[in-house]
Amino acid sequence: MKTDSFDSIFQALAHPARRRMLDIVKDTPGCNVNDVAAAFEMTRIGVMKHLAKLEEAGLIHSEKSGRDRRLYFNIVPIQLIYDRWTMEYSGWWAGRMVDIKYAIEAGTNPQEPDA
Amino acid sequence: MPETETFVSKIFIAGSIDAVWREITKTDEPQGAMFNNRMHTDGLALGGQIRMRTPDGKYTGVIGEILEFDPPHRFAHTFRFTHLEDAECVVSYDLKEVDGGVEFTLTSKGVAVGSKTAKQMKSGGGFICKTLKAIVEKGRLPLHVWTIYHVLKALSFMAPAATKSENWPLKGNGDAQPA
Repeated sequence: MKTDSFDSIFQALAHPARRRMLDIVKDTPGCNVNDVAAAFEMTRIGVMKHLAKLEEAGLIHSEKSGRDRRLYFNIVPIQLIYDRWTMEYSGWWAGRMVDIKYAIEAGTNPQEPDA
Repeated sequence: MPETETFVSKIFIAGSIDAVWREITKTDEPQGAMFNNRMHTDGLALGGQIRMRTPDGKYTGVIGEILEFDPPHRFAHTFRFTHLEDAECVVSYDLKEVDGGVEFTLTSKGVAVGSKTAKQMKSGGGFICKTLKAIVEKGRLPLHVWTIYHVLKALSFMAPAATKSENWPLKGNGDAQPA
């Protein structure tokens, strides 16, 4: 992460495999490359290239731990994108509309919390 | 399943490393990036105690002990919210000069899984990074953050009794900083 350009963030998120890798790192903070690679039918080198793209965009932070490299999700770039195009109130209304979409798709009433 | 977890927030700041370092270590005025708390300390050095207090000094939200102090690159300290019973964790700030600015990394380690501290650290990291970036790059707080701080100030009388600063004194003259 050397600049705060959004280009690298959008490029990193444009690939479905990288989005899936980001999900894995987000759900298992501190995982390593092997943990991520286990979920893909591609070479370890291929996985490392994708992870490098995510790290370059600042979406992943890697930290050396002995002979290992631990991976962590960094939410800040996504928050900056959100802040760039969303104001407080539009964010609230958009959030409600997304809630309704999820509720309808799940076949539940948006007024009632999940059982 | 691990008993503790780690949170990392990282951001690029277009400013000097000294400016970023000052914002996270200054004691002569409230730190806008740190929820407008003012850092009180008996010494910014290994083993020094820190207390993050409201600008009027009446309430203390966070206490800690300095583990590393390497200006202007790394600052690490233990961290505990005074209103929670959760075990302390370790917070570190890493500053790295890169082309055009500074890469700032905030790491919280040893945070008890599922604790209230974990919930606050998870959301607080991004807030601190974004606010710090705004202060260093634009020289002021974002309007919505400024508003939040004023609301918090108005509601400070509702702060839990456990956070009263008299419960968290500093040894020596650490509390004798100018008001």
